[in-house]
Amino acid sequence: MSSDFEAYEQDFGTLTAEITNKIGRIPKLAGEEKTQLVLNVDKQLEEVRELLEQMDLEVREIPIQSRGMYNSRLKSYKQEMEKLEKDFKRSRIAYSDEVRNELLGDDGSSSESQRAHLLDNTEKLERSSRRLEAGYQIAVETEQVGQEILTNLHSDREKIQRSRDRLRETDANLGKSSRILTGMLRRIIQNRILVFILGAIILLTIILAIYFNLRGH
Amino acid sequence: MDNSGKEKEAIALMAEAEKKVKSTQSFFGSLFGGSSKMEDACDLYGRAANMFKMAKNWSAAGNAFSQAALLHLQMQSKHDAATNFIDAGNAFKKSDPQEAINCLNRAIEIYTDMGRFTIAAKHHVTIAEVYETELVDIDKAIAHYEQAADYYKGEESTSSANKCLLKVATYAAQLEQYPKAIEIYEQVATHAMDSSLLKYSAKDYFFKAALCHFCVDMLNAKLAVQKYEEMFPAFSDSRECKLVKKLLDAFEEQNMDAYTDAVKEYDTISRLDQWLTTMLLRIKKSIQDDESDLR
Repeated sequence: MSSDFEAYEQDFGTLTAEITNKIGRIPKLAGEEKTQLVLNVDKQLEEVRELLEQMDLEVREIPIQSRGMYNSRLKSYKQEMEKLEKDFKRSRIAYSDEVRNELLGDDGSSSESQRAHLLDNTEKLERSSRRLEAGYQIAVETEQVGQEILTNLHSDREKIQRSRDRLRETDANLGKSSRILTGMLRRIIQNRILVFILGAIILLTIILAIYFNLRGH
Repeated sequence: MDNSGKEKEAIALMAEAEKKVKSTQSFFGSLFGGSSKMEDACDLYGRAANMFKMAKNWSAAGNAFSQAALLHLQMQSKHDAATNFIDAGNAFKKSDPQEAINCLNRAIEIYTDMGRFTIAAKHHVTIAEVYETELVDIDKAIAHYEQAADYYKGEESTSSANKCLLKVATYAAQLEQYPKAIEIYEQVATHAMDSSLLKYSAKDYFFKAALCHFCVDMLNAKLAVQKYEEMFPAFSDSRECKLVKKLLDAFEEQNMDAYTDAVKEYDTISRLDQWLTTMLLRIKKSIQDDESDLR
């Protein structure tokens, strides 16, 4: 009986080894080969299940004393089979590196692409730092231009203030001169009136003198 | 434009004007309406001068203007005389700088007599510029700038005065008259600190003053930099202050490479102009001398 069991164990061992191998290969393949391999593994898993059932029956026929050891072995084999089934299921939907490469363009080894990536980054950094420096230079130049403009503004401000003051002075002077001119005009008119009055008086005196002379004759 | 024709016209006008002037000098002329004839003569001189200007004959134009100005002086109209002298000066600037300076000087005399110091100061500046560019006589230029600055200060236009003083300081430093330059820079900088418009230029003045101190003596420079930082906290943030500190350190260690590196670093960001380059070179040479002395 136990030799049967051991024969079953050996078969189990070989089958599981084969299944693991095939499961490992499945993700790398695609299409026709993959479906064939999947069917293969399916069949082998069926065989493994049958083996386990038979091992179970065998164990039942063994007397109870030595059953313990065989029981534990059986349990471990069952667990192994469950694991294989899970792996199998996963492998059918798993990705593999090769499929990725096919999709994203065959890059060859990944370290090359990393190196190119790093060089690219360094170049970008250098470019940005150069641009920053240029920007800083421009800012400094702008500041200098601003300084000049401010000084000019300051001096212009003073000039404008001075002109405004002078203008006010000129205004006051003009007012004064216009008052003086009006004064002059008044005096001229006064003088003319005076001259007319005096002229009239002299004329009158001459007429009176002639009149008295004539009267005196 | 018929330039030669204009010149002939102008020469004819000048001749006419001279005749008029001579005629007024005879006895009868001065009795009967002499002044109006002189005014006519002035007018004719003016027109002749303008025609010479059109024909680009600057010396003849300058002569005509000077004649007009002399006539005006005889007629006691100082304003007109001064204006004509200025015109003569401008015309001569293009051909004979020395004559121009003579005319401008006479004009300045008239203006200062009349008490118009602002205009006199402006013309001092013009003369100084002529000395700067055409006749390259830096001492006289400095003298005129100083005079101009004094007049401006008298008329309370401190910003124009500061402009002239700065030029004086630049030239003084170039001629190694460091104390004067230092005084001017500090004065201008303290004044600039207080004004909200000018405070962004104050750090520039402090920097220049510190450099002048440096040319004289390193210890002076250190004390000066500390003093400026106290007076004007924003100074310590500026790149110029950092440069000066680096230069001081390099000087202490007599390390020419550190000096050159610091200067180069500053230059990459904002170019050093002529004056700064000269001063920094002098300081660098003094480092070299010290090194060779030690050896």
